[in-house]
Amino acid sequence: MMGIQRDRVRFNVGGKTFETTSTTLANAGRNSFFGALFDENWDLRPMNSNSELFIDRNPDCFAVILDLLRTGELYVPPNVPEKLLCREAQFYGVLDHVRAAKWGQFDGNRLRLSRSIMGPAPGDGTAIRAGPDGGCCVAHGSMVHVYDWMMEEHPPLNLDYQRVNDAGWIDSESIVISACERLGTGDGGMGSFSSSTGEMRYKFQVSHENQIKSYTAGALTFSTDYKIFSSCKGRSNEYGVGVWDQITGKQIDFFYESPGWSLGDADKLQWLNGYNCLLVATLFPRKDNCYISLLDFREKNMVWSWSDIGTPITFDEKRVRDAIALEGSSSICVVNEYEDLGFMDLRSAAGSVRWSSRSRLMNGKLLDEPCYPKLALHDGQLFSSMSDCISVFSGPDCVLTSRLRRSYGGSICDFSIGGDRLFALHSEENVFDIWETLPTSAL
Amino acid sequence: MSNPQKKRNFQIEAFKHKVVVDPKYADKTWKILEHAIHEIYNHNASGLSFEELYRNAYNMVLHKFGEKLYSGLVTTMTAHLKDISKSIEDAQGGLFLEELNRKWNDHNKALQMIRDILMYMDRTFIQSTRKTPVHELGLILWRDNVIYSSKIRSRLLDTLLELVLRERTGEVINRGLMRNIIKMLMDLGSSVYQEEFEQPFLEVSAEFYKGESQKFIECCDCGEYLKKAERRLNEEMERVTHYLDAKSEAKITNVVEKEMIANHMLALVHMENSGLVNMLLDDKYEDLGRMYNLFRRVPNGLSTVRDVMTSHIREIGKQLVTDPERLKDPVEFVQRLLDEKDKYDKIISSAFNNDKTFQNALNSSFEYFINLNARSPEFISLFVDDKLRKGLKGVSEEDVEVILDKVMMLFRYLQEKDVFEKYYKQHLAKRLLSGKTVSDDAERSLIVKLKTECGYQFTSKLEGMFTDMKTSQDTMQGFYASHPELGEGPTLTVQVLTTGSWPTQPSVTCNLPAEMSALCEKFRSYYLGTHTGRRLSWQTNMGTADIKATFGKGQKHELNVSTYQMCVLMLFNNSDRLSYKEIEQATEIPASDLKRCLQSLACVKGKNVLRKEPMSKDIGEDDAFFVNDKFTSKFYKVKIGTVVAQKESEPEKQETRQRVEEDRKPQIEAAIVRIMKSRRVLDHNNIITEVTKQLQSRFLANPTEIKKRIESLIERDFLERDNVDRKLYRYLA
Repeated sequence: MMGIQRDRVRFNVGGKTFETTSTTLANAGRNSFFGALFDENWDLRPMNSNSELFIDRNPDCFAVILDLLRTGELYVPPNVPEKLLCREAQFYGVLDHVRAAKWGQFDGNRLRLSRSIMGPAPGDGTAIRAGPDGGCCVAHGSMVHVYDWMMEEHPPLNLDYQRVNDAGWIDSESIVISACERLGTGDGGMGSFSSSTGEMRYKFQVSHENQIKSYTAGALTFSTDYKIFSSCKGRSNEYGVGVWDQITGKQIDFFYESPGWSLGDADKLQWLNGYNCLLVATLFPRKDNCYISLLDFREKNMVWSWSDIGTPITFDEKRVRDAIALEGSSSICVVNEYEDLGFMDLRSAAGSVRWSSRSRLMNGKLLDEPCYPKLALHDGQLFSSMSDCISVFSGPDCVLTSRLRRSYGGSICDFSIGGDRLFALHSEENVFDIWETLPTSAL
Repeated sequence: MSNPQKKRNFQIEAFKHKVVVDPKYADKTWKILEHAIHEIYNHNASGLSFEELYRNAYNMVLHKFGEKLYSGLVTTMTAHLKDISKSIEDAQGGLFLEELNRKWNDHNKALQMIRDILMYMDRTFIQSTRKTPVHELGLILWRDNVIYSSKIRSRLLDTLLELVLRERTGEVINRGLMRNIIKMLMDLGSSVYQEEFEQPFLEVSAEFYKGESQKFIECCDCGEYLKKAERRLNEEMERVTHYLDAKSEAKITNVVEKEMIANHMLALVHMENSGLVNMLLDDKYEDLGRMYNLFRRVPNGLSTVRDVMTSHIREIGKQLVTDPERLKDPVEFVQRLLDEKDKYDKIISSAFNNDKTFQNALNSSFEYFINLNARSPEFISLFVDDKLRKGLKGVSEEDVEVILDKVMMLFRYLQEKDVFEKYYKQHLAKRLLSGKTVSDDAERSLIVKLKTECGYQFTSKLEGMFTDMKTSQDTMQGFYASHPELGEGPTLTVQVLTTGSWPTQPSVTCNLPAEMSALCEKFRSYYLGTHTGRRLSWQTNMGTADIKATFGKGQKHELNVSTYQMCVLMLFNNSDRLSYKEIEQATEIPASDLKRCLQSLACVKGKNVLRKEPMSKDIGEDDAFFVNDKFTSKFYKVKIGTVVAQKESEPEKQETRQRVEEDRKPQIEAAIVRIMKSRRVLDHNNIITEVTKQLQSRFLANPTEIKKRIESLIERDFLERDNVDRKLYRYLA
């Protein structure tokens, strides 16, 4: 019993008294307000039953946080605004605990709509990108709006106010955006920004034969060995895929496009770690035909390629609208405007699309402003957006297992998965949805 | 992105900035925090409220004074570190390191507390502005203001190196303090550790060991030197575990290895009276093991040891096999080889870690010198003969195997295995026929070993000899069963030998005594009666006989003699005196055999059943022989040996050699035909190479002989020369 006596701690938080134990508070970890408070360096005088520690903070939030430390679960009463809670959690250094208690490990079949965020920007959204720790950024015209995981908006980004083509997170603190060039000014191209302050860190340059050239940067992707890839369109022959170092910001490589392969116009890039290759897809309607290839940068050769040139245009025309490589099954998955999935084998050189027999006709009415389907991959689950819903396919045979739908904001023009969240951007209204998996510890 | 939109955004930002209440707020708050930092460094923190300080730091960041807070921290901490640096500089002599260590501990504790207060800044402001986090900042400032201070930097290095030197010279130093200081350098980053300590430490160590090794090499013998080097190496490794970075171990041992071993490798190995050769001669396992383990650590170390060992073994072996004294006793000769092999096997297993490359070197050395003496195959066979005749009596089965395995090992070194086979066959024949073999199991075991080593072909004739022995037994039983009347009179035992399986010697049948030739005739008709189409010829030079003799005073003895001796002795049943000529005429034994036979009957002391006139060691053509009536012996049975040179006589040797050469011819031809059959066309040099390779397991084929065989095959239309390229041969099917 002596132990328990000594273990007990009494707080006065903003005038309200709380009693707990140092054991409970130890759950916050050494790297928190409580961890430091109880460190022996800070000579916390032994308390008698009447003495208490005063903390000049909000008592209601303290109650929620104390409960979180006691149980590992987050229960926020209606009178406590979430923003306030997060602020207090950040004060105590337990924001990570709150985040972990709010949503669990991502599972496409157990998603629930958490909230929808209205954006201030006019016009259609171009892209939405999930950040590594729950935040996201949305590209609208020439601006990129940045949100942290609490959906607190940070200063927006722009690259000389040029039209943004793509954006991506290098880490939770850095975002890269790619934009169109403005003729003859050297504006546009690609830049890296601080996600919290919005200031630009680097402007990435492309040089050809030691001459710095202005360019339009298109699709972006990153590799695990700190490289940035982007499709580039220059003035004359400078079309292809550029490679930069994430740390130094310097250009380290360039894959010039071979005639007829439209690499500089690519809609999608994907780095394949197992193949040490980059997937490049240039698709209809940006070009009249679809081109998909795998580039090996070491040898500067195209190790695999496919295009639909010469394919007879049949009655039910099936044009590839997005492509994604499934490294595990050595195949490329493609989708057409009717949301039929097709597969190509990466191991055979002359591939043809094997359309899935599961092909479904469009059900329901066609929305006023249809959007082309997009594909994403997460942890073995395949996601495909179509109209105003997202289909989830699971297992090695890609079986349709779930469908996410929300009837507000029109069709989905882009979506992205990251930080254990799925973000879906709608085209008609400037709104995006956040889908989360319930935390497993929650009741 | 329209203009009004943009404006609105900016206005909101601008408005927020103006919200700040008290213009002096930031300064006031910073004063509180600055004071706290002072108190922490002055060990006066007990009066501070963590909650208040944390809140103040939080508020500064919240109100956008992160930059002020951060730069204030840098200034304040720098000032404190400058004071600390001063007090360390002032520390006298030996107290310097202790003061440095104490201040380092203080700083670390202070840094932890400051970081606690500024935790919120660390998490938010520093992250978003990508500044150096507080803890790292504290280390960098310590490095720049304390360690890099001009009055500390070189003093610290000198002190550390001095302590290492003192420890090397046997003093006891405060290792705990040393460890703390080194740990500090490591905490400041691996480059700080390397530049401020490791690099100079390695240089100084190299210098130290260069001097020491020079001293040692002048006054120590090799064994002592190696002991010292080993001890130094262990000391350095110990030093690393006690107070250096584990990554330094490879670097410092490298220095010791280079200075103490690599640079003196040849001097050590060849050191007079104590170098490698002396160690080998004296079986200094411990020193050899030490040398192996130390030399293994440096490039080319082991190959140096191996080369010296190889040339030593070759030298010793060459002396052994070419020493005319040694050639007198083949058994001793082979025993010496085996002893030498045992000696080096033991050295390699106990000192050289059973290193495969050393084993190979040993084998190739033996192969080299054993074949220097053309008589090695004969001697090895004689050694086996000796062992199987008597050497193995009373030896356990396992030990027999051990000896046979050793013989096989020597056999493997032989290039002329067919010569060995020839001798082995002769010796085996003698053993079998004289019934002298000690153990049938041992004989068979060796044949199995030869078979696994050289194949069926090699041993089929040897096995045939055993079969003959067995069949002869049965034949004799059958003979006596069909001739029951032969119970009385002399007993005949015949061994029927298959021609070809046995080493045939040109034999002249001598005249057998009448009793015996009658018996032989009976056997001949019995044998040819049961086996049609065979021919029997008597090898009287190979048989033995037991005869009963009664001497002058009635002493009775049973004499065990050879067939020739029996023929001679039987003549004395009818006369007391016989001249050499008379004996030669009566028996028709070849002169050389007869002389040896008479010598053994008349000239060997204690066995001289005959008496000779005149008395002399050698037999002359005019000598006369008498029964020695005075012959006495303690034993009833007396074995009278034949005076034989155990080794071959010179003509015999040449004959064996010739037979070997003769036997090689068909083998070489067979090999040529086999090769040409598969290759169809081949040039001269390639044939020579391939034939040599194919026959390697039996003998080393002589290129001239191969050439002769090719020519013979061309003559017999097996091969032809190419019309254009005369060096090319074609196979004719």
